Amino acid sequence: MIRLTEVTKRYGETLAVDRISLEVPTGEVSVLIGPSGCGKTTTLRMINRLIEPTSGLIEIDGEDVMSVSPEELRRRIGYVIQSVGLFPHLTVAENIATVPRLLGWKRERIASRVRELLAVVGLEPAEYAEKYPRQLSGGQAQRVGVARALAADPPVLLMDEPFGAVDPLTRERLQAAFERIQREVRKTVVLVTHDVDEAIRLGDRIALMRTGRLEQYDAPEALLDHPASKFVHDFVGADRALKRLGRVRVADVMRTDVVMTADGTRKIDVAACSGGRFVYLVDDDGVLEGWVDCRVLAAGTPAEEAGTRVDWREAAATPDTTLKDALSQMLGLGFRDLAVVDDRGRLLGEVSLRAIEQTMSGSDAHVSNLAEGEVLGAPADTGEGEVE
Amino acid sequence: MRNEGHPIPAEATSADRSHGARVDRVAGFGAAVALSGCVALPFVEFRENRIASGVGEAVTAAGWLGWLACALLAAALVAAFLPHAIRARALPAVAAVSTAVVVAALGSAATTLQEGQPAFARVSIGPGAWVAIVGIAVVWFAAWRASADVRTRWLAVALAVAGVGAAALWGGVPELSLAKEYAAQSRRFWPLVGQHLTLAGAGIGFGALIGIPLGVVASRSRIARQVGIGVVAIIQTIPSMAMLGLLIAPLAALGVRAIGTTPAIIALTLYALLPIVRNTFVGLAGVDPAALDAGRGMGMGRARLFLGVEVPLALPLVLEGIRAAAVLVIGIAAVTAFIGAGGLGVLVFQGWGQQADDLTLLGAVPMVVLAVAADALMRGLGRVVVSPGIREEAAA
Ligand SMILES: Nc1ncnc2c1ncn2[C@@H]1O[C@H](COP(=O)(O)OP(=O)(O)OP(=O)(O)O)[C@@H](O)[C@H]1O
Ligand SMILES: [Mg+2]
Repeated sequence: MIRLTEVTKRYGETLAVDRISLEVPTGEVSVLIGPSGCGKTTTLRMINRLIEPTSGLIEIDGEDVMSVSPEELRRRIGYVIQSVGLFPHLTVAENIATVPRLLGWKRERIASRVRELLAVVGLEPAEYAEKYPRQLSGGQAQRVGVARALAADPPVLLMDEPFGAVDPLTRERLQAAFERIQREVRKTVVLVTHDVDEAIRLGDRIALMRTGRLEQYDAPEALLDHPASKFVHDFVGADRALKRLGRVRVADVMRTDVVMTADGTRKIDVAACSGGRFVYLVDDDGVLEGWVDCRVLAAGTPAEEAGTRVDWREAAATPDTTLKDALSQMLGLGFRDLAVVDDRGRLLGEVSLRAIEQTMSGSDAHVSNLAEGEVLGAPADTGEGEVE
Repeated sequence: MRNEGHPIPAEATSADRSHGARVDRVAGFGAAVALSGCVALPFVEFRENRIASGVGEAVTAAGWLGWLACALLAAALVAAFLPHAIRARALPAVAAVSTAVVVAALGSAATTLQEGQPAFARVSIGPGAWVAIVGIAVVWFAAWRASADVRTRWLAVALAVAGVGAAALWGGVPELSLAKEYAAQSRRFWPLVGQHLTLAGAGIGFGALIGIPLGVVASRSRIARQVGIGVVAIIQTIPSMAMLGLLIAPLAALGVRAIGTTPAIIALTLYALLPIVRNTFVGLAGVDPAALDAGRGMGMGRARLFLGVEVPLALPLVLEGIRAAAVLVIGIAAVTAFIGAGGLGVLVFQGWGQQADDLTLLGAVPMVVLAVAADALMRGLGRVVVSPGIREEAAA
């Protein structure tokens, strides 16, 4: 557990951080978010003493961080910076081995830990271990940065805009990878971001900051449903119903009882359509290749013509996809149903627009809250979700 | 998805860059210069004795070897226009063979022209041959670039060394004036080379010993940077002769004689400082702040951060500074012969004094060789000690 009590950082006249108190429970992710210059980085860096607080108390598992030497403290805290900061002269393996080496681990133990971590962050150890940072793409470098922070299995992880400098698609994948890893390793994480959707997706709690002060510290749902102030309300934006979908995964609402065939379109007739709208076409390994629309089939069109061939990379979601992303994918493709595949393209099920609608209306909270927002005097919301 | 899994291609090597070109302009230029020098200018000069003025003799004086040399240079010119796949082998081969043949042609011309002449008659290398040698050096440079693989390169070097060696042993090379000059000076020559190396080596060594820490201090403190680099830059602007003069007074005050090895080494050290201090500073200042922040954030102490991150990242520039200093100091070490420090400058100045051009050359040519060797050595060292992750030429 990380606990900040009345922590203040003053630079001359400016109060970069103003009496912040918050607690990050063990194994949870807290996200620091807020407009540029509000003190997120300063707060984060005070936890591992890269910045010394002017006043206040910072404890990790009940121990005052000021009572430990900075070097020793930092070796126990994983740290990921926005610009990744991999050492360009060291290989990927050597980069990851940094803290284990500082801790004096044995060579074999380091080697096996490096392999393990590369696999955890989704990089093939044999292929990437001996590469140099300049041979990596932005997304790969970020993954290595995360692996390096996890190297000595620190209980606490500090991440400053870890997925900031990559394209949206890569970011989505990195977020999914982070969720998966966090489910396994259960670190106590403080993550800084500019992106409200990212905060809602990854955070167990969100700390919204404004000019050095903590505006609200709550679970994402609470932040969406009960904004403590107009600032919070405006910051989160108008599309909170949509934002809410960012908390729910496709896995939670998908149907798995879909009809699929590996025999191509030859044997498909109306009888094959047992209830569902589609018969999915897969290859021998179960990888999605397309589908046949049963309504078109029922209208008398031959199966070959009623079929659609697709690339699963473009026309399907994964179980980790948020409903928000799935919805936008549906709108983009013009589909009311979206196939769900695993990361190798094997068909797992489908998610329907109706299921998403039900999720949205299932919580009435947001409806009352929209009205509340107007009471708070919000003008016509601009719907801006991201702040730069 | 798409931009993952595809490593960013490593920086293209210089060899890659010449791939695309249809014509190797550099090789073509070198070959053309060499060929025209060979054909249009006197290849050798005949002198009645070592200080008499020379009479130019065309390349034909070398007989069939002269014709062969011209033919090879023409072949080099043609090779520059061949497709890259052929060029990559043809250029090193033709560079190696033409080097050996030009040397052999010089020997042959010397032997022929001195036949029946008095013993003190001399044949020295003429302007045409010098131009040819410079042109061939350019072809070598292009060949080095065009041939990406190490084996071809060293095969070419071995071929050239063997050819020149053979020409020196069995051709008429010892008949050349330069060789005769060497024979006359052979007892002094190697000690002078040794002195030259000692002077330059000491200058570079002390320069690095003082300059690298100065560069480190400059990267830590603004005042040190402004004062240190300012002073070192002013030193650099002092002409070398003036420097030796300026050192007299302070050395006298310290009780050191202003003549001999000590003041020479001091002067050379001062000259070596600027490139070393400046490059050390620039190298350290250029270290990615994100890497430092990450290192600090992972619990590296100051010493580890310096030795484990800053030094390896600054190393390429530091080595480059030492390389520049080495080339500079090897040249300036010639001047210190004036204050009795010895070195190859002794031969140069004596040659001038006696108007014996070939004696001057006997001092100057080895200096060029030393400078080129020091340059190659430092580059080779860089290839060994600099991490492949930050090397200029990607180790693909
Ligand atoms: N070393 C410093 N000296 C003086 N002021 C500073 C220093 N570091 C930060 N500040 C000020 O403190 C405030 C908070 O900075 P901080 O870097 O924590 O913001 P941030 O929330 O991380 O912003 P961003 O989203 O742009 O990264 C800013 O007003 C900044 O100008
Ligand atoms: Mg910041």
